[in-house]
Amino acid sequence: MSEASTLAWRPAHQRPPLLVRARERVGRSRTAIAVSLVVLAVLLPAAVLVPWLDPTAATHADITAVYSPPSAEHVLGTDGAGRDLLVRTLAALRTSFLVGLVAAAVATLIGVTVGALAAATVSWGRGAVDQLLMRLVDAVNAVPHLVLGVVIVAMLGPSVSSVITSIALTHWTTPARLVRAEMLSVQGRDFVDVAIVGGASRWRVTMRHVLPQVASRALLAAVLMVPHAIWHESALSFLGLGMPPHLPSLGAMIQDAQVAVFAGHWWPAFWPGLALVVVTLAVSGAAALLRPRERAL
Amino acid sequence: MRSIPRLVGARLALLLPLLALVTLVVFALAANSPFDPLLARLGSRAFSMSGSELEALRMAQGEPSVLAQWATWWSDALRGDLGVSLSLRQEVTQVIAERLPWTLLLMAVALVLAVGSGLVLGTLAAVRSGGWLDRVVTGTAYVVQASPVFWVALLGMWLFAIVLGWVPAGGLTDPGSDVVTLGALVRHLALPAVVLGLSQAPWFVLVVRDTVREELGAPYVLGAWGRGVSTPRVVVRHALRSGLLPMVTVLGVRVPELVTGAVLVETIFSWPGIASATVTAATSVDFGLLAALTVVTTVVVVLGNLAADVAYRLLDPRVGAAHE
Amino acid sequence: MTRRPVLEVRDLGARLPRRDGGHHLVLHGVSFSVAPGEVLAVVGESGAGKTMTLTALLGLLPARAEVRGEAVLHPPGSGSEPVSLLGLSERDRRRLRGRGIAHLPQGAATALTPVRTVGSQLRETARALGHGRASAERVVRAALARFGAEEELLGRYPHQLSGGQLQRFANAAALMGDPCLVLADEPTAGLDEDRAATTAAELRRQADEGRAVLVVTHDLRLAEDLADRVAVLYAGHTVETGPSARVLGHPRHPYTAALLAALPRHGLRPLAGEPPQAVGHVHGGCPFADRCPLFVDRCRAELPALRPAPGSDGDHRTACHRAEALAAGPATSRPTGIPATVVAPPAGGGTC
Repeated sequence: MSEASTLAWRPAHQRPPLLVRARERVGRSRTAIAVSLVVLAVLLPAAVLVPWLDPTAATHADITAVYSPPSAEHVLGTDGAGRDLLVRTLAALRTSFLVGLVAAAVATLIGVTVGALAAATVSWGRGAVDQLLMRLVDAVNAVPHLVLGVVIVAMLGPSVSSVITSIALTHWTTPARLVRAEMLSVQGRDFVDVAIVGGASRWRVTMRHVLPQVASRALLAAVLMVPHAIWHESALSFLGLGMPPHLPSLGAMIQDAQVAVFAGHWWPAFWPGLALVVVTLAVSGAAALLRPRERAL
Repeated sequence: MRSIPRLVGARLALLLPLLALVTLVVFALAANSPFDPLLARLGSRAFSMSGSELEALRMAQGEPSVLAQWATWWSDALRGDLGVSLSLRQEVTQVIAERLPWTLLLMAVALVLAVGSGLVLGTLAAVRSGGWLDRVVTGTAYVVQASPVFWVALLGMWLFAIVLGWVPAGGLTDPGSDVVTLGALVRHLALPAVVLGLSQAPWFVLVVRDTVREELGAPYVLGAWGRGVSTPRVVVRHALRSGLLPMVTVLGVRVPELVTGAVLVETIFSWPGIASATVTAATSVDFGLLAALTVVTTVVVVLGNLAADVAYRLLDPRVGAAHE
Repeated sequence: MTRRPVLEVRDLGARLPRRDGGHHLVLHGVSFSVAPGEVLAVVGESGAGKTMTLTALLGLLPARAEVRGEAVLHPPGSGSEPVSLLGLSERDRRRLRGRGIAHLPQGAATALTPVRTVGSQLRETARALGHGRASAERVVRAALARFGAEEELLGRYPHQLSGGQLQRFANAAALMGDPCLVLADEPTAGLDEDRAATTAAELRRQADEGRAVLVVTHDLRLAEDLADRVAVLYAGHTVETGPSARVLGHPRHPYTAALLAALPRHGLRPLAGEPPQAVGHVHGGCPFADRCPLFVDRCRAELPALRPAPGSDGDHRTACHRAEALAAGPATSRPTGIPATVVAPPAGGGTC
């Protein structure tokens, strides 16, 4: 081997061994986040605007075009009553998204309150209140959330508010645990004691130091909860226990589509579900922006 | 290892208070319900009573408080009387006895499918990190994770039952037959179990992939490899073996999701389990059945969690040692 | 008479691709050799490239890394072909692992998987080396005896063993295949005196049994006590090599002298400045130029080549333009402003 050739740069591996390849860092995809934001930016305005611009489009039934497959006239096809699926899906998406948003907000509010209460009372009389609240969290978590959700809606009667209540009462435990843990960890830190010794009231310390940290975590939890809330509402509507019939819902559309599927038509079921998938992925992907530099999952 | 009986004992001891709390929540909700609790308590006896008899009973008994109702229900339940299901026209205990095994069967098969695919696909994706296989597996996992199980179920039904006709579209037995044969059972179970398993698989795939990738960077993997152990063996017998533990933890967390999925899958495929009965009970506000099914599903979840924790202790020699 | 070295490394370089398209140079030119029956210590500060050299020799560089230079393994015994360790195919490398080359990773006790018994792992190693079921048992027993590992502990898990016991099992596993070259990465790091001494003694024994032992370490005392020869690395370059008594007794490179001066027993005079963050310093000259007390302009302009040190035979080599000045003694070597203590070789021997 000549001097020149050994001093030339050459690849270290003919084919990198499996273990070397497996140990490489796989970078997080920036494009995934960008795509999510673009999708949301397109979908949400469309969902909001289309039904607003033409309120009757979602319910306009063309009996001559029942179950027509995707075509130039009806881009996504029509359902069993001849209604255009594109418009209906967007209208249903709007409903589902709004309900999901409100429900996630309510659930987070409940969760933050409970969690903060638990953390604040942890030093009162051996933390009885805290223990009780945590047992309540365990109890709610032990019941499969759709079972509990179904029970709640059954008890309260089908309506928009009962759906929101159902979602809120089954999903508040995650922010509650989160907020409690966050507050306890901040409370336990030295700088809190130092501040109090220095004269600041406990209340003040909490507001200025604990709250900002907790708030950002709670916000992230709330955003991540939106897809779950939408899913929960759709599941309830699918089972016939959700939104009242006059309000379009993705779950209800899929329920209606069961008949279509038996008849061999796939599209009335496909598009509403696809909308759910896309919204879920888009919101989760966009939420990565809010996430501090941690690993996904 | 000696700690396992203690763990089981502790969990079971907590079960009863947990159920008490859960049912209290349910009764409290019922109190806010616009539906008549008296009718719910009387069950099928209400049908045989006239309107005036009901009124008299209502006046005589007054409106018992939530706690009183709850206590009554529990005292009856502990004696084996769970009441009557108005919607299904059976004793609740009979409903559970007939339907629970089918739900458990569906959940068990689905879980095996989910865990199995998680182990295989997760390991393959971890080993070929960054390659096309990894990207396909991970991408598919995220999409499936975001897909509602009832949507996947319907599409699966469309493709495999309606279009291809490979499997029946629902039910437990072939039409016209009352007897459950093994062949028929397998054919009817196939689609629901695959759909339910598919809905839970992404979590297992992703967690196995993550942990195997992490374990592959550990010094002992390098050590084994450096001793001449073949790469497949290192991946399976060292990295994966260490990575089984986090997966078992995920398994525990997934049991309630499995039940939730069962509610939807059983409904779509007319599978006669307790999960679909829950929906029937909710739609007809069959209070007795609802309360009992909430308890049953909660018990399933707690036992599932317990099983996962026991498995964790069995698999990890270090955890057992910590208690010795 | 010098026997033919088992491992010969010449001008080994390695670079990793950077995301912006450029390269991150981790090894510039590392050269040393290890003969059978000999212990070579590769020393230097962290970041000097010691571990990276091992990584390159083991074929574990990142997937898109590039190398240059040579690293050749000459298995002793007639009829064995020399093997180039750079760019080796996976199949050939697999044959070497455990059999030709043994790797004792840093923290050797963690080289065994926690969730399996040590016995199952030892048996697995024996099978991987090509033994059938029956002979595997014998091989494992023999290895246990050689390393003083207790047979009755085979059914235990790693966390159930003491540090010393685990070390013995780890050694038994890694060296079961009777390799000709042993690569030890920081074998005494984090160990207490007794364990460190036992480890060093074990490595010495491996060498005495005819193997070539390469020890990567930042511990100069270990190098002094254990090694026959020393190679000093700085910023991905070899700056001095030779018999350990010579290099560490009469260093002919200012960096080696500075390393020794920083030892507690020589007065604990640490070297000012920091090693360069990235190999591939701005100017094309000696990497140590910016911290060197003997620095002259030529040092910045021209990279010194590894050449025989003044006043020695070819075995003691140094890459320094000012080696003569260093050898001549403190009086003639000191530029203004630099304290004599940094420049003078430590006490314990006159000029060679």
